[in-house]
Amino acid sequence: MIRALNQVLEGALARLSALAITYLPALLAALAILLAALAAAALARWLLTRVFKGIGVDRFLRQSGIASLLTRSGKLRATPVVAAAVYWAILLAGLLTALSVFDSKLTTRAIDAVVLVFPKLVIAAVIVVFGLWLAQYLGRSVLVWAFNENLPGPRRLAAAVRLVVILAAVATAADQLNFGRHVFLAAFILLAGGAALAGGLALGLGGRDALRRYLEGREARRQEQGERSLWDHL
Amino acid sequence: MATSPAPEPLRQAAGEIRQADIIIGIPSYNNAPTIAHVVRAAQAGLAKYFPQHRSLIVNSDGGSTDGTREAALSSRVEDAHLLLLASPLLPAHRLSFPYHGIPGKGSAFRLIFQVARALEAKVCAVVDADLRSITPEWIDLLVRPVLHAGYDFAAPYYHRHKYDGTITNSIVYPLTRALYGFRVRQPIGGDFGVSARLLCRYLEREDWETDVARYGIDIWMTTIALAEGFRVCQSFLGAKLHDAKDPGAGLSAMLHQVVGSVFLLMQEYEPVWRRRTGSEPVDLFGFRYDVGLDPIAVNVERMLAAFQRGCEELREVWALALEPATLAAVTELGRQATSRSRAFRLEDELWTAVVFDFAGAHRRRPLERGLLLRSLTPLYLGRVASFVLETESHFPEQVEERIEQLCLCFERLKPRLAAHWNGTGPGEAAPEDRPGLHGTRSAEKARLEVSR
Repeated sequence: MIRALNQVLEGALARLSALAITYLPALLAALAILLAALAAAALARWLLTRVFKGIGVDRFLRQSGIASLLTRSGKLRATPVVAAAVYWAILLAGLLTALSVFDSKLTTRAIDAVVLVFPKLVIAAVIVVFGLWLAQYLGRSVLVWAFNENLPGPRRLAAAVRLVVILAAVATAADQLNFGRHVFLAAFILLAGGAALAGGLALGLGGRDALRRYLEGREARRQEQGERSLWDHL
Repeated sequence: MATSPAPEPLRQAAGEIRQADIIIGIPSYNNAPTIAHVVRAAQAGLAKYFPQHRSLIVNSDGGSTDGTREAALSSRVEDAHLLLLASPLLPAHRLSFPYHGIPGKGSAFRLIFQVARALEAKVCAVVDADLRSITPEWIDLLVRPVLHAGYDFAAPYYHRHKYDGTITNSIVYPLTRALYGFRVRQPIGGDFGVSARLLCRYLEREDWETDVARYGIDIWMTTIALAEGFRVCQSFLGAKLHDAKDPGAGLSAMLHQVVGSVFLLMQEYEPVWRRRTGSEPVDLFGFRYDVGLDPIAVNVERMLAAFQRGCEELREVWALALEPATLAAVTELGRQATSRSRAFRLEDELWTAVVFDFAGAHRRRPLERGLLLRSLTPLYLGRVASFVLETESHFPEQVEERIEQLCLCFERLKPRLAAHWNGTGPGEAAPEDRPGLHGTRSAEKARLEVSR
């Protein structure tokens, strides 16, 4: 009985030992890689924070309008964003390297997937950010233009422009990722087509008289002495 | 150094005339009904006051299709109507050129200045082609201080209706005065006398292709003269009566060009205006007298409606430019304002804060500058409406006193501008300028107090 118990225990210990001999070095190596990645990421973040400070990236973000589209106050700082991005990228690379130590099918597949998807993900993210920037820029342009032209509902017009541009960007990004490409594309076509149709119908049927009255009124207003007087100063 | 080549006809004419002491420039665009009068006044002024000098009248035209150039070249002073004590030794020549490049007043000025430099003129005066109130004395008043008194720049000083010159009265004059410390009452008047030295400085510059080429030219000339230490004076010209501007041109675009030029020059001359405090009077030539003025009708209801609409629609854009306190005060004012409200007031402190905040935003560029400046239009209309309502029953002297109060407010709050100038956005002053850090009590006091 005792002998049998010993054999079971020895067997278990042998398997454990074999497992340890097989996996422990890899585990330790993975842990070391992770720790090194963590240190490298922290170092890179610290360095970037020091180096990027005041090189004009923040100014560029503010001036290009990207800052104000990502945060409502427009006070986005590039330095912490870039530093955080680099930090997490290094950590991700460290994690993938650590996983590759185990050389299993699962980890290999996971690494392959990430390596394959990552560039597309970056491109899609760039497309979306550019789309957001373009939507913000065009939206504001339309807002100020529509206001100065005395068009009805400048904010609604601006919102419509933003929506269409953002949807176009999302559809393009989804296409890049092969993700629901038909759904987004169909949604975009439906929305853009629907908007054009609705606009056409509204102008063609319901809005004919309103547009005529508006244009006549605009012409009349231009000729008013009251407005002329505002220009006399120059 | 920007030295664009002079056009061929100009060089040809310069070769023939070779030298002139005085150049009178008349920029024009479709001014056939009025330009003949302006040319006659210039000719008479030259004959009467400067008979011993070689002089030339240059019409720089922007492609008129109504016979402006022909009218300028064919106008004659009726000798029988002009009694001169001294006969002119040399008759004043006349030339008319079409200018090229960006269409606008500034491009026309540039050609006139090129002619003046090519002919080694001692003084160049420019007058608008749409003037109905110009007399020969204007030529004397614009030329003599430069030719005989050593001034480099003679700015005009007019009597204008209290509702005329609203951009001048509410933005350009108070801001220019507070920044550069000189009380030039009509910095964008349009009629100037310029010395050869200053003229060469203008032609050296490389920003002719900006808004300077359009309506920004007047403030550009005045600012350079003030900021770079040229000797500046004013000449009293009486009333300024002129044709209304093209109704097709939008107010927003004009405001954009003029104010954009002021803001752009603020960035260039930051070290200059940071040094200067208060303001000093500028020498005034000419005998001052009261004149009758064309009445100007203003539609306050429409201006107020535009302001109110702006408060509802443009908040998103204003939030990028205005300090939170300024924005809150403006928004609150928009809520209170109704188109029939006779008690509507956009107070001096708030208006000054708006202008300073926009100037800062123009430097920081939180959004495209054109959009930023165009979004100022409803705020400007609100200020004009407030001014009109407040001065409805005022006499000209009282109106002038009111404008003086606004100017003093700009001067008083200038430390606030300096404090926020290098900041990164609304609510953030530059660390080195932050009021309180260096014990700058004036800057501390100058922070906007919405006293509504």
